[in-house]
Order: sequence, then structure tokens, then C-alpha cells
Amino acid sequence: MLIALLQAVASGLAVGGAYALIALGFSITFTTTKTLNFSHGDFVSVGSFVGVTVLWLLLGKPINAPLVGVTLSVWQQLLAAVITVVVIGLIGVMLYFLAVKPFAGKPGMSWVMSTIGFGIILTSIGLAVWGPSQIVVPSPVGDDVIRIAGVGIRPQEILMFVVAIVVMAALDWVMQRTIMGKAMRAVAHDQRVASLMGINVTAVMVGAFFLSSALAGLSGFLIAPIASASLYVGLSIALKGFSGAIIGGLSNPRGCVLGGFALGLLESLVNLWQAQWREIVVFLLVILVLAVRPHGLLGLRTVEKV
Amino acid sequence: MRFLHPIIVVAISIGAAILAAVIGNDYYLRIGFMMCVYYLCAAGMNVLVGYAGQKSLGQAGLFAAGAYGAALLSTSFDLNAWVALAVGAVIAGICGVLIAWPSLRVKGPYLAMVTLAFGIVVEKLVSEWIEVFGGAQGIYGIKPLSLGGVPFTMLHWVWFGIALGLVTHLLLRNLLSGRYGRAFLSLQADEIAAESVGVRVYRYKILAFVIAAVTCGVAGAMVAQQNQYLNSDFISFQLSIFILLLVLFGGSGSLYGPLIGAVSLTLIDALLARWPPVQHFAYGGLLLFGLYAMPNGVAGLFSRFFTKKARPVPVAQKQSSPPPTRRDENRSRPLLEVSSVSKNFGGVRPATDVTFRLQHGHVHALIGPNGAGKSTMINMISGVLTPSSGRIAFLGDEIGGLESHGICRRGVGRTFQNLRLFASLSVLENVLLGQHCRMKNGFWTSLLALPQARREEAAANARATAILDTLGLRELTHVPAGSLPYGLQRRVELARALATEPQLLLLDEPAAGLNPQETAELGKLIVQISKLGITILMVEHHMDLVMSISDHVIVLDYGIKIAEGTPGVVQCDKRVIEAYLGAEAA
Repeated sequence: MLIALLQAVASGLAVGGAYALIALGFSITFTTTKTLNFSHGDFVSVGSFVGVTVLWLLLGKPINAPLVGVTLSVWQQLLAAVITVVVIGLIGVMLYFLAVKPFAGKPGMSWVMSTIGFGIILTSIGLAVWGPSQIVVPSPVGDDVIRIAGVGIRPQEILMFVVAIVVMAALDWVMQRTIMGKAMRAVAHDQRVASLMGINVTAVMVGAFFLSSALAGLSGFLIAPIASASLYVGLSIALKGFSGAIIGGLSNPRGCVLGGFALGLLESLVNLWQAQWREIVVFLLVILVLAVRPHGLLGLRTVEKV
Repeated sequence: MRFLHPIIVVAISIGAAILAAVIGNDYYLRIGFMMCVYYLCAAGMNVLVGYAGQKSLGQAGLFAAGAYGAALLSTSFDLNAWVALAVGAVIAGICGVLIAWPSLRVKGPYLAMVTLAFGIVVEKLVSEWIEVFGGAQGIYGIKPLSLGGVPFTMLHWVWFGIALGLVTHLLLRNLLSGRYGRAFLSLQADEIAAESVGVRVYRYKILAFVIAAVTCGVAGAMVAQQNQYLNSDFISFQLSIFILLLVLFGGSGSLYGPLIGAVSLTLIDALLARWPPVQHFAYGGLLLFGLYAMPNGVAGLFSRFFTKKARPVPVAQKQSSPPPTRRDENRSRPLLEVSSVSKNFGGVRPATDVTFRLQHGHVHALIGPNGAGKSTMINMISGVLTPSSGRIAFLGDEIGGLESHGICRRGVGRTFQNLRLFASLSVLENVLLGQHCRMKNGFWTSLLALPQARREEAAANARATAILDTLGLRELTHVPAGSLPYGLQRRVELARALATEPQLLLLDEPAAGLNPQETAELGKLIVQISKLGITILMVEHHMDLVMSISDHVIVLDYGIKIAEGTPGVVQCDKRVIEAYLGAEAA
């Protein structure tokens, strides 16, 4: 029983890392532009495929060739990761100009629809290129299960967790300490004033979408060896990342990260009890949390001055 | 004239029904049926999205509630199909209340998340709880609607759909063109202002959710009964998006938008059904560029041709009837008593043990340096804030901590320091919203356009027009309030507050941003209002104005009342001079 519990905690933390990266991405665009990318999930799944495609190219294999049993060197993996992050980041920039900029700051939430539309187009292109099948992706750190005190952990899960923590700590440092991070926080606080202080607001927003999408790409790349690459898993992963962000409080990046991990843990523990109730419990909880705390558990309450 | 619209709509519906009978091809009839189904979804959704301004991404959940409700009732409980349809709608309505409840406090993306989560919970529930909902296997043998024991043919279904759509359109038009429509629009524009004119924001939000839920539920039930089969594939996130798209693409906030959306998107859907990839691309493109090209949907493109030229409004002859006021029968009770009221926000105390009393018919001024707690006091009296301690009694009844709309109903009207008009609504609609809490027509009366609703609407119009006359706004009746210059906007807000028929009128810096001439006019206006028997409490910084028109002045400094009395007394008070000019160095 204890071992099963520990096992659930371990895998919950790993998946939670992916959710946390995604949640952080939501928080970054929300704080700077007050908009969210509702096609984040498509970015995650396309991210997995971009990574795999780079591997195919490096190995000189055709698209959709099986990758099982192939050994990959570290630099190949690193290159694939970097290219994935950059490509998905650039798609994010495209998203900003096509779907977000025309609607940002306007009343109503037209950007909800336009970003969903962008995602549908992105997935359609993905289906045309890669087809609907799932691809099993080998892990860069090997697929042998490590046993710690009877708990089996896949190396990729450890990698996922570690990378998530490192990336988030680095981002936190950038946001708090560097002039770039301060500019982003200034834009988040008040666009007009930031603009008057000489900050290039558009550049900051483009940067925010690049960063947010790059994180989606990274989580897609990291989760592919755990869940295998598929164009259909993105939505559910991103929804949980989104839930994590909402539970933690969109306006608080650290809260979002905690929310992401919490959600991963919760999901994994419910899974222990009843697998098919997993999503129902998770989303019911989201509704409950928001009903009690409308701005998330750690989000700032905005008080409207009358 | 009143029956022109219904006659035209009925004629069009009959035309469509005849067309359906002529076509007779099951495939085309099916498309027609789906148009009706989607119109029903969109018509209700339009109330929620276009009028009340609440985005929902979980409408598939309500569709499912109706569909599974009707399906299970007719298979497991062997209920008559007509009864099952009706009960399905009721079940969906109850689910609408369930989804509305957590949605009351959350806004923007959080609201999107709540509705989205609801949709997913329902989707997972029907696909995973196989014992009850049958999952992907589905439920077979759902009874179709029948007349005299003969089950509906496809043509009957289309006729039924057209009839239902017609009834829905006429009912919603009744509802939305009057008191209820305005109230929905007001909460989209500004919830705090809506409360201040007596609109019960929570109630109207729930109502909007329920209307959207019921129409979606009926649509779901019809789909289940027509197919006589239902499985979990019917319910998906895509359906929720599609229902929202119907409204946004057609034109939200327009009565015809949902119809345009339902007809055109069903057609596109049917035309592209053979090439799923193209269909996906088309949806993506519509979502991505549709709102950019047509911010108000297809209906918005045509609205230019439909908007009537603003009718020239006859300028009123000198002094029509004075605006309505409600005089208190019993002037023996003090109008407003504030006793030992304190308020603290964490460590900040904008009110400490403040006590004062307002007299019937007087003009009272509340003055003090910036940060003295004047607006906080106004907000506590009008119910925007709740006092931390102390008692506020209006005509002897405790009102501290009541909700704004209730306080408005009792006879306290207000304006705001930073204008809170319903910018996109016309001047007349703004003032009519002031009349909201004085109108007596309820939901059913309005929905069915019973004579009482029309009488109330006419009476409210007459009163609103009288107020506009008095304030010299008659020529601007149909102009959007947000397009007016600042000084006039202030005046419209005053007109709106007067329309709530207050006994006590709270004015929060009514002269802020006005030029000297406008300020002088405002002074005259306030005196005029006070002569109608309305007591006034105003927060103001223009000392000329305050000293010339007030009967009684209350001075606050750092949340403490430091003086009160006639203007002359207050002007000589040493503490007041200190607060404003600083103490002399000893």
C-alpha cells in the first residue's frame, strides 16, 4: 500500500512537472497581455512531433519510422530539444500576431475563439504531415526502470521533474532580478505606464508568447517518451496545465507552478483509487476551488475601486 | 404595427415549412432539422453571451443534460416522449443553475475555466459511467415524438423544429426588448452600476444561464429522440465550441444573429462533411479570422442597412410634467442615520466611529481632503461596501451590509466618482435602467408580453422622457451614452440616478471635471432636484458649489468626523482649516 502510494506520488510529480511548465506558460501570457492561448495543448503535441522529426532527420530516417531500439547521442537529443523549443516559440509569435494582437485589450474575449481556431489549423497541418498515429519515443536517459525503496521510477520521469524545476527557478530569477524580467512585470502591471517609461510593449508581448509557447514545446518534448507522441493528447494535458494555473492563480507565476504540481499529484492519487474518475474528480475540484476562491488559491484579488 | 413583426416571422416560418414539404428528401430535411436544433442552442446562448456577456465553453454539458435526460426517461422509465422532452428541458435548466452558481463570482478566463470544466466533467461522466449512460455503446430505443400514436417522420421533425424555433424567437424577443433585455445588457456593461440602479445581478446571471441551458437541453433532447439513439460521441468539447461559434459568427447581441449563424454554419458543415480535413481547416479559419473580419458577426455586417435613422425627437415644450419622486409618507423618522460606523481595509481605516444624520429635503455636503474616506462613506451607504462596525439606518431600517440593489429599491440613488454609465446603451436606455427597480413586470409577464408588461414599459418610457426633459437631454435620447462629451455624461448619470425615484440621492463628486459654467449649472440643477423633495448627500471638492447650495456640511479627515454644521459654521472651524491648510507652526 505504502509503495503504491509512493509510486503514485513519484509519477504524479513527474507529470506535475509537465503541467507546471504549461501552467507557467499560461501565467506568462496572462500577466503580460491579459490573454491566454487556448490552443496551448496543440502546441504541446506539435512540440512532441517536432522533436521526433528532428531525431528522424538526424538519423536520416523517413518520417514515421519506428524509433524503438535506436540509440541517440546526447548532442542529438539536446539539438532536438533546442530546435523544438525555438520552433514552437516561433509558432507562438505567429499566434500572437494572427490571433491575439487584433483582440488584445478589447472587451469581450474574442481571443478565446481565435486562439482555438489557430490550434485547430495547427493540428490539421500536423495531421497532414504526421498522420494520426502514436509514436513511441525513446528516452534520452534510457528506459530502464530505476528502483528506489521498491518504487519504480523511469529516468525520463526524473528528467522531466528536474528540468521543470530548473527551468522554473531560472525563469523566476529572470523575472525578479533582470531588467528584462522587470520590463515584463511592468507591462503586466500597466501597459500604458510601461510604454511611457520607454518599454517596447509589443516586444515584451511577443517575447511573452515566444516564452510561453517555448515552454509548451519543451513539455511536449519531455513528455513524449513518457506518454508517447500523439496529436490527440495535447488537449487533455494542456487542460490540466490550465487547471493547475487557475487553481494556483493566474496572476501568480509561483502559484501556477505549485498548482501544476498539485494537480499532477492529485490526478495520480485519484488514479490509484479509480482510474476512470480521474478527470471528473480533477475538474470538479477546479470548479469547487474557483467557487470558493474566484482568483485561485494564491492569486491576487483585484479590488475594483468605485 | 405591433403585430407586424410576428406576422412576418410567422409567414417566413410557414414558407420554410412548405419548402420542407416540397423538398421531401430525407438528407436535405435532416440538414433543415439540424438548422432548427442549432438555432435553438444559439438563441439561448445569445442571451448568455450576447446580452449578459458571460462566455460559456461548456454548453455541450447542458446539451447532454437534455439529451440523456430525455433518453433515459423514455428508455429506463418508459415515459411518454413528449413528457421526456419537457423533463429533459427541466433537467438541463437545473444543470444551468448548477453551472451558474460557481460562475457568479468568477470572471473572464476563470469563468471560461469553470464552464469548460463543467463541460468536460459531463463529457467524461457520460463516457465513463457506462452502467447508467452506456458510454460509447450508447442508448438504443429512445422513443421518438409521436402524434396520435404515429411516430414523427423526418418532415414532422423539421416542422416541429421550425415551430419551436418560431416560438423561441418570439418569446425571447418579448423578453429582450424590454426590462429584462436591458438588465442583461447592463450586467455585461458594468455590474456595479447595474446593482446601483437596482438590477439584481446574481439573479439575472442565473436567469441567463438557465435560459441558455433550457434551449440547449431541448435541442439535445430533440437530437436524441430524432436519432432514437445516443452515445457519448455526441457530447464533446468541439460541440461547446461550435455552439459558441454559432452565436459569435452569426452576431452576438443581435436577435437575428443566432439564426444567421445556425443556418450558415449548418450549411457549411453539411457541404464540407465529405472532406473532414477541409472541414477542420474551415472551422479553424472561421474561428481565427471570423471575429477579426466581422467583430459583430454576419448580422453586424448587415446592421448598417437595418439601423433606422435616429428619429428626430421633438424638443419638449417648456416644462412638461416634473420627474416622478416618491415622497415619504412619514417624515417623523429621520431619513438616514449613520451611527458609529467604522471601516477598515487591513490597517487602513477610511472611517472611524463616524456619526451623522441627514434631514428630509436638505442638501448635505460631505467634504474633506483627499483620502478622508468620503467615497468610502458613500459606498457604505449605497451597499457597495459593508461597514466593519456601526449602524446605518434608512428611514429607521438597518441597511448596512445589504446588497446595493436592495438599498436602491428602498430609495437611495447614487452617481459615481468615475462615471459608470452603460456606455454602449443609449441615453434613454440608461435612464430606463434607472426605472428598472420601479417596474413591476416579472419574468413571465415580460416573456409573454402580457398587457402589464406593455403598460409598465410605456409608463417607464414616459417617466424617463420627463426626466430627460428636466435635465435638458431630450435631444440626445437615442445617442449612445459613451459617445457624449464628459459633462453631458455626468448629466446622464444624474438622470439615471433620478430615474430610480430616490428619496436620498448620493452624488460622488458630481462636479469633477466640469468647467466653471457647467459647475454653476449643476448647482442650479441640484437645488432644483432638492426642491422636488429629494434629499441630497454630495461629496464635492468645489468649495464654492458646496458653500453656496448646502444646508449642512459634514467634514471628514482621515476617516474621522472633525466638524459639521451650516456652511458658515464649518468655514470658521479651526480643525477644518487645519485639515485643509495645515496647522500654523507653534
